[in-house]
Amino acid sequence: MMKWVLFIPELYYVLMAVVFFALSLQRKSEPRRLYTWAVILSGVGVLVAVLSARLEGMVFFDAYRVDLYSQVFKLLLALGTFWVVLTCSELEGIDSRQHAEFYLFTFICTLGMMMLVSAVELLTIYISVELSSYCLYLLVAMRRKTDEFAETGIKYFMVGSTASGFMVFGISYLFGMTHTTYVAELMKVLPGMMTEPAAIVGLVLALSGFFFKQALFPFHIWAPDVYQGAANQVTTYIATASKMAAAAIVIRFVGFSGGESAVFIKLLVVLSILSMTFGNLVAIIQKDIKRLLAYSSIAHAGYMMIGILSMTQRGYASAIYYALAYLIMNFACFMVILKIADDGHNLKIKELAGLHKRSPLLAMTLMLGLFGLAGIPPTVGFTGKFLVFAAALEQGYLTLVIIGMINATISLYYYLIVIKAAYLLEPVNPYPPVRVDKWTKSLAIFLVIAMVYVGIFPDQFVALTEAAARSLFI
Amino acid sequence: MSWLFKDPVLLAAVLCTWLPFLSMAVILIFTRHKPQLSSYISIGAVSTSLICALYLLIKLVHVGEPVEYRTAWLIADDIIIPFGYLFDPLSLLMLLIVAVISFLVQVYSLGYMAGDPGFSRYYAFQSLFAWAMMDMVIAPGMLQLYIFWELVGLASYLLIGFYYEKWSAGQAGKKAFVMTRLGDIGFFLGLILLVLGFGDLGIVAMNEAAQAQAIPSYLITASALLIFCGVIGKSAQFPLLTWLPDAMEGPTPVSALLHSATMVAAGVYMFSRIFPFFAASPTAMAIALAIGTITMLLSSTMAMATYDIKQVWAYSTVSQLGFMVMGLAAGGYFAGVFHLTTHAGFKALLFLCSGVFIHEYHSNDMRDIGKGGGRSLKIPMVCMTVGALALSGVFPFSGFFSKEAIMGVLAAYPNKIWLLAGLLGALMTAYYSFRLIFMILFPKKVDATMPHDAVHYHQEKDDKIQIDHEEAAAGHGAAHGHGSSHGHEEGHGNVFWYMAWPLIILTTITLVLGFFQHSLEGFLLGHAADAHGGEGGHGAGHYALLIAAVSMGLAGIAWAYYEFGRKGASQEGFLARLPKTQALFANRWYIDRFLRRFLDRAIYGGLTNVFTRNDRRVIDGGIDGFCLFTIGSGRLFSFLQSGMLQYNLLVMVAAVGLVVLYFVV
Repeated sequence: MMKWVLFIPELYYVLMAVVFFALSLQRKSEPRRLYTWAVILSGVGVLVAVLSARLEGMVFFDAYRVDLYSQVFKLLLALGTFWVVLTCSELEGIDSRQHAEFYLFTFICTLGMMMLVSAVELLTIYISVELSSYCLYLLVAMRRKTDEFAETGIKYFMVGSTASGFMVFGISYLFGMTHTTYVAELMKVLPGMMTEPAAIVGLVLALSGFFFKQALFPFHIWAPDVYQGAANQVTTYIATASKMAAAAIVIRFVGFSGGESAVFIKLLVVLSILSMTFGNLVAIIQKDIKRLLAYSSIAHAGYMMIGILSMTQRGYASAIYYALAYLIMNFACFMVILKIADDGHNLKIKELAGLHKRSPLLAMTLMLGLFGLAGIPPTVGFTGKFLVFAAALEQGYLTLVIIGMINATISLYYYLIVIKAAYLLEPVNPYPPVRVDKWTKSLAIFLVIAMVYVGIFPDQFVALTEAAARSLFI
Repeated sequence: MSWLFKDPVLLAAVLCTWLPFLSMAVILIFTRHKPQLSSYISIGAVSTSLICALYLLIKLVHVGEPVEYRTAWLIADDIIIPFGYLFDPLSLLMLLIVAVISFLVQVYSLGYMAGDPGFSRYYAFQSLFAWAMMDMVIAPGMLQLYIFWELVGLASYLLIGFYYEKWSAGQAGKKAFVMTRLGDIGFFLGLILLVLGFGDLGIVAMNEAAQAQAIPSYLITASALLIFCGVIGKSAQFPLLTWLPDAMEGPTPVSALLHSATMVAAGVYMFSRIFPFFAASPTAMAIALAIGTITMLLSSTMAMATYDIKQVWAYSTVSQLGFMVMGLAAGGYFAGVFHLTTHAGFKALLFLCSGVFIHEYHSNDMRDIGKGGGRSLKIPMVCMTVGALALSGVFPFSGFFSKEAIMGVLAAYPNKIWLLAGLLGALMTAYYSFRLIFMILFPKKVDATMPHDAVHYHQEKDDKIQIDHEEAAAGHGAAHGHGSSHGHEEGHGNVFWYMAWPLIILTTITLVLGFFQHSLEGFLLGHAADAHGGEGGHGAGHYALLIAAVSMGLAGIAWAYYEFGRKGASQEGFLARLPKTQALFANRWYIDRFLRRFLDRAIYGGLTNVFTRNDRRVIDGGIDGFCLFTIGSGRLFSFLQSGMLQYNLLVMVAAVGLVVLYFVV
């Protein structure tokens, strides 16, 4: 097999970016045609990711590794991108002249993240991170009514570049300690050095760049503003696809320590607890649903960390499963928001009132998505939380799991507020009916079935994530 | 599913126990608005159950050891809760009884309930009952038994309150549910105690361990007494006996099926189910014996003072259940079960006959039925007399044999007082049964000097009877309406024969069942004959006892004849001359009033008050406080999230700096 075959998914996304670059040069913009092309191309992208799922090998002087772990995440990324593109039929949040650029940057960002999950060399990782981050900075700033939201883009950029600074600084420590930038080497050497403060500091600083993407406390501060300030589709993209890449790289990096350092684990435990508690508590008082979901994402980064910090294969597998679950559930919620706020404004919780009459299907999707996020059986969110908690309990983190459960209870409160609005409240002024086209309808039905099916019959997915977690350390 | 078809016994068992459930689901979901179809589905299901039950009995009759199918339902450490089937002679017999009576009652209901607006609902609940009762009967473990025991209670609640528009029916349903639940609390506690102390709720395991004295005796006594509370509730024993007479608010076929033949017998069944377990505790047995006796005597006296035909049979049911408990508690396993079997037959018969009268004359009052010409209805009149003779223990009806069996056991008991109580009970039973028969057979000429109301001034339930009137009238009218589609005459004839056939079948059973005593005994005791050796001998051996018991029955009948039957009898009864006693009996010895007062004072006045206060102040207050605290801390934390970029970055850098500092220092 030729080696470039391994790089096919990424090449495909490069091709897509080129296509949309060409389209962006057109004088006249035709949003419908762009949308159709984007849907078709990204749909094929999912197909490509599926077809390349079983590839394995190393390319680019061993800086780039293709294995089941990376391919699973690439599939999740492609899926997330496809879903987001699918919901762009009314891209009202972004000026119609910039639609081609929107797709262009979305695909480049996906490309960057795909490289990120495969990269096994520190500089490659850094470049991948920056590639995807810069696209996101631009996407966030692209929102219509730029005066109002320009601040958001700048803030995101500032915080992001600060985190990047930490990361490069940390990477330099790691290189200084181990004299290598190859992950395979690092994994051999680093566990032995985990007693040395410099190694830990290097690892923590390097991780902070990824924590930033994952929106883990204390690198979460961009999340609420960006979620609120970005166009709804961009928020959806950040909340779903980009979270997958962050989870992937955090899992890989945390694995470096090999579970040798109690101090390091303690640090992760503290970050996880802070992230969960902070996210959930502040989410309670939110009025804007995107902002609420931003805080919820901070909390979820904490839950996912519980699986990761178990540092066992099972823990990593549970975190991967959690990422999958999070992708489905979170996307379900965002899709509903997108469709209700189809003119691109920021949705308040009270605007959901009477949704069960305006669109029963969307109300159902939203309810299941939120129940999933809260971890209520039989949704996929319950199974995800169960696996994560089980993995942590196996390692004896009882207190952590109890705190996680208390947090899940707190989170139920604000999810239920949203569900209450959708199902029990009557709108004061009748809102216009929600337009749901057949694509959205079928996607909603698919998501509902997926949330329940993957939750009730998780076996094959668990087996897949476990296989992926195994390939992480071969 | 192939495992199901490999074993015909298992297949029959599954069909037998789960078809009624299926029928309930189908009726409730699909055929609610097609009453005729619903009734056919339900009857179809229950007749299949009946065939399967017969097949199981024939197939397994010679299997010595109990056949058990079980699957672990819950596993927690070393405690395994099984679900499945246990077939031994007792469960097979009871399964057949339930299937037969359910089938007959459902057929009978085609006539009795015809045209009722809740016809489909009625059959759905009947199916629910059949399913729950059968699964209870074949339960291999006490927890499964308990679960279906409660489901049976639910079916009972739903059927008692079937005419829910009627206030008293709703009340009666609630009363039945709450009172049986009260006993079930004890039952459940007993099970928990047993799980903790012994760790296995399998019926076979419990019985064997108790016989082998593998369980400490204090544990057996404590858990047996607690479990007996369930019997007290379900089988309406003293002091929880008053729900059963009130349960007569339900349709008469329901009374026949649930509240005389099968459901209330569940308590007695459970007693016999774990009989060796109970028998291992003399204390528990003695207490059960006392309670059974008190129940039997009390309710017999109550039956003497009422004029409501269903009430008489209800009190009689309570007293016969007490009699069964006496038999079991005195050590007569076979005697108790045998009486349960015969009683199921003749008491269902009595109720169904009464149903015909009520249906025809729209009255529950035996005097009204008599005056209306009750004797002209030949089939039910003859059948009811047969039933009453069986109830009074007259040869050759089935009741004679089973009563003799219990008397024999009581006579073998060292303390003869129980025997005397039993004989007294037999006397009263015969008296009140034939008081009823004679009042219908030989109605008194209307006497102008005696105002109608004066006779039952003490009746608390006057209004109830009145409502029953209207209800029955409505049902009857509708029956005619329904029948008219086939032509009036034919329709009425159908309705009558739907109701008559079950009577005839039950009468036949009552006539012949007694002669199967010895084959039944061999079947039931079978391999366990050594354990209960020689129990059956008493009835035949003690001629003196035989004569005493039968003469008690005959004396009762003669007494009733003297007061009610002979020409020129006053039809007042001796009670009319003792107004205080009569009031005492008619008001059920004031048990209800006592319970009511106890409830008001101790529960509502004391406990409830305290708990309400705890609920409001401590629990609600605590949760409110906690929520306020949580939301407040949310607000507090949100200050960390200000819009100022430089401040945000400061927080971030400070946090990382702190972390680094923590590692380095």
